[in-house]
Formats: sequence, structure tokens, C-alpha cells
Amino acid sequence: MLLEQVEYVRPQSLDEALEILANDDGAAPLAGGQSLTNVLKNRVASVDVLVDISRLDDLAGIARTADGGLSIGACVTYDELDRSADVRQTHWLLGEVAAHIEDQQIRNKGTIGGNCCLSDPTNNLPPLLVALDAVMELRSRAGQRSVASADFFKGYFATALEPGELLVSVTVPPMPAGSGAGYTSLAVGADAKAMVRAAARVTLDGGTIADSRLVLARVAHVPVRDTDAEARLNGGDATEESVAAACAGVADGMQPIADVHGSSEYRRQMAKVMARRAVSQAVAAARGSRNGSKAGGN
Amino acid sequence: MGERGTSHAVTVEVNGEKVSRIVAARQLLVHFLRDTLGLTGTHIGCDTGNCGACSVIVNGKLVKSCMILAPQVDGATIETVEGLADGDSLSPLQESFHEHHALQCGYCTPGMLMSATYLLRQNPDPTDEEIRRGIRGNICRCTGYVNIVKAIRAASREQASGGRPVPAAAGEEV
Repeated sequence: MLLEQVEYVRPQSLDEALEILANDDGAAPLAGGQSLTNVLKNRVASVDVLVDISRLDDLAGIARTADGGLSIGACVTYDELDRSADVRQTHWLLGEVAAHIEDQQIRNKGTIGGNCCLSDPTNNLPPLLVALDAVMELRSRAGQRSVASADFFKGYFATALEPGELLVSVTVPPMPAGSGAGYTSLAVGADAKAMVRAAARVTLDGGTIADSRLVLARVAHVPVRDTDAEARLNGGDATEESVAAACAGVADGMQPIADVHGSSEYRRQMAKVMARRAVSQAVAAARGSRNGSKAGGN
Repeated sequence: MGERGTSHAVTVEVNGEKVSRIVAARQLLVHFLRDTLGLTGTHIGCDTGNCGACSVIVNGKLVKSCMILAPQVDGATIETVEGLADGDSLSPLQESFHEHHALQCGYCTPGMLMSATYLLRQNPDPTDEEIRRGIRGNICRCTGYVNIVKAIRAASREQASGGRPVPAAAGEEV
């Protein structure tokens, strides 16, 4: 046995799950288990009872919201995001990023909720969700609250979730008219963990960038918006030269993390490159017809 | 109210056969298959979800059985490598692996076969890139990937040319 002795329970309703999570400090929600199972094998976290939320209808499925956005259940898998016609139609890039997470086995089990709640800085979805202004819907026995994705990720394996609180869904607002999104990763090998990532969203007004989001990942322990670079992009020309000039100063005010994968200075330089490519992709996507698409398709 | 405890009754259908057992909550699916049910065709390579040797198909979805706890699959339909052959008659993929020398030590082969079976169900005519992405979660430490890709490609072509198809998922209409 690799795991320590642990209890398991599969509640029949969301209320029952919230009750267990509220009453037991040692309770941990189990969704796809593609990270938690390894945490348990390594015995680095103490869990008394695993609360299997993977079969709860309240956490399943992808729905279109009235305003044309998406409401994505916390237990929706990466593979479901990839294959969802609604996701591909409204936020093509979200499906595409999900389609490139690790491997098919993990995509069949891993969930958007787990990807966010683990708050592992290497996870793919958090920077994109921040760039898309997604909102995290949290519920506990006390009620429901909404937290902007930009405020949800608090640190290395830390989120805004309070004890007894569960992420139930992620709301992704519709892409503004004339907008597009981009996403680039510096990784060794296809679909591997990234050393630096950038996610961008731009809204064009003719040949000008009217509004932008530029989010960097793996530069800090949480996704960070480079609001200085956004300010340089906003109001500027949507040309390669202008985007490159605005992105030349990306991460200059930051102290990127250093680890075995790269020094702080290397990450700063690569952040500039990833940012420029992500913004350029977003501009190309905004000019094309496909929402949130990468430039040039696949 | 779901039952809470350190052991659970689990009923699953494995390769067409219904089995019920009491399992420890902490037992991994791969140990349930190998140790409890004696289905040792599913291999353990790494225990950490990296190598894919333990890949099986649960409710039609390819998964790594070392990344799932046994109580999580209660009620599920499970396919393992033992279910691919029909008696002594190998599946088209197994035959193709044999013909194209797609195994050297053979340790990764059960997982490779399950990933390839899943791939060809989803995508009967994959490109080489799609095949490589389809086995992205399976590591061959003999690094015999070229022949594995060849074998999967050949099986898909044989299927397209009217040869024996890859068996449909358990419970699916054929």
C-alpha cells in the first residue's frame, strides 16, 4: 500500500459534500485525482477522508450563459473542454489549451476545478482564465460567493478557498467584440510543463489595441498581470513592431523566480518573448473570425 | 448519504465479467486489478502516473490505473489488456504490434495497446502526429517508438481497408 489509511465517501448531493467538508478539517475533495493521488502516495498531506465529488451533477457540464459566456462545472475534464462545441465556439483557445495538457489519460480524468484549486504554478489553465477575466464560483454551507480569477490564486498551492468551501464552477464571460486571445509556453517537449508562459487577450478598435490583458505564469508562484505592459499596449498600434516595443519591457519590474529550470534573468528574457508571441497571436485572432483562436489555426 | 469508511464494497465489470469485492479505500485501481483480481497484464512501471504502463479503459475512457483509487470505480466497466484478444485470436492491434516488432522488452506493451485501442476508437484514421500524441502518456524505455507508431498506423490502415476493426468499447453497439 502506497497510501496511508484513509476514509472515502461518495456523497449523493452537493449539500452532503459541503456538510462533510464543513464538519471535518481532515476532509479533502477528490475530483479527477490526477494530482491528489500522487500527493497521497507521497504522504505529503494528511487527509482523513476523501470526499469523492466527481459524480455530482451540480459540478458537471458546460452551459452557455445568457450573455454568451460559459459556465463550466468544476468537475469538467480537460478532454470535455477540448471536445465541447460550446467552448470551441465561444472560447476556442480554452479548448485548445485543454487539448494540450500532458496526455490523453490525464485529460480524461483531470478537471478544471482541480487544475485551479491545486494552484500549482505549472498548471495550464490559471493564466488563461485570468486573461479571460473568468470568475470562480465558490460554495460552502454558509452560501455562495464569486471571486475574480485574478484574486483566486494566492500562492504556491494556495487559493482564496476558505476551509469548508468548494469551487463549484468557473464562469467565463463572452469575448468582447473585436477581441482575440493568445497563449504561448516555453517547454521542453510538446505538451510538457512550461518554464514560462504568457496568456493574452486584446480588443481591437480598427488598427489600434483598445484594451488588453497580459498574464505571465511561472514568473511568480501565481499568474501575474503585467499591467505596465498592458498600459503600453493599450492605445498603441496593433502592429508587430508596436507589440514588440510594448513587450520589450515585460517583467522588468518583477523578480522572476529562479529554480532548476531557469534563472531569474533567463525567465525575464523569455517572458518578453512569450508575451510578444501571445499578444501577436491575440491580435491575429482578433482579426480572424474565430474567438480566442491561435494565429494560423493549429 | 454516501457510506463513509476505510473499506468499501465495489462491483465492477472487468473484460465482460462482473466481480464484487471489498476494497480498502486506499487501494489503487492497479493493485485491485493485479493483486485482488489477479489480472497481472496491467503493469506498474512508475507508481507516479508518468509511465502509462498501467493504462486501462474505464467506462470508455483511457486512464492510468495507478492514479485512481479502487472505490472510485464502483459500478464501472473496465477493459484491461487481457480483454483485447478473443481466446487465442489476437486483436488486430496486437497482431500488428507482433508483425512490426513494436515491442522489445514488452513492459510498456499492455499500456501502449490500451492507449492505441482508445486512439483508434476515437480516431480510426490518425496521422502519425496524432498517433504520437495518442501515446504521449506511455513511455517505452527501450525507446522503440518508431515501430510502435508503425504498428498502430498499419492497424488503422488494415481496419480502413476492410480488415478486422478494433473492437468497440464494452457495452457499445457493434
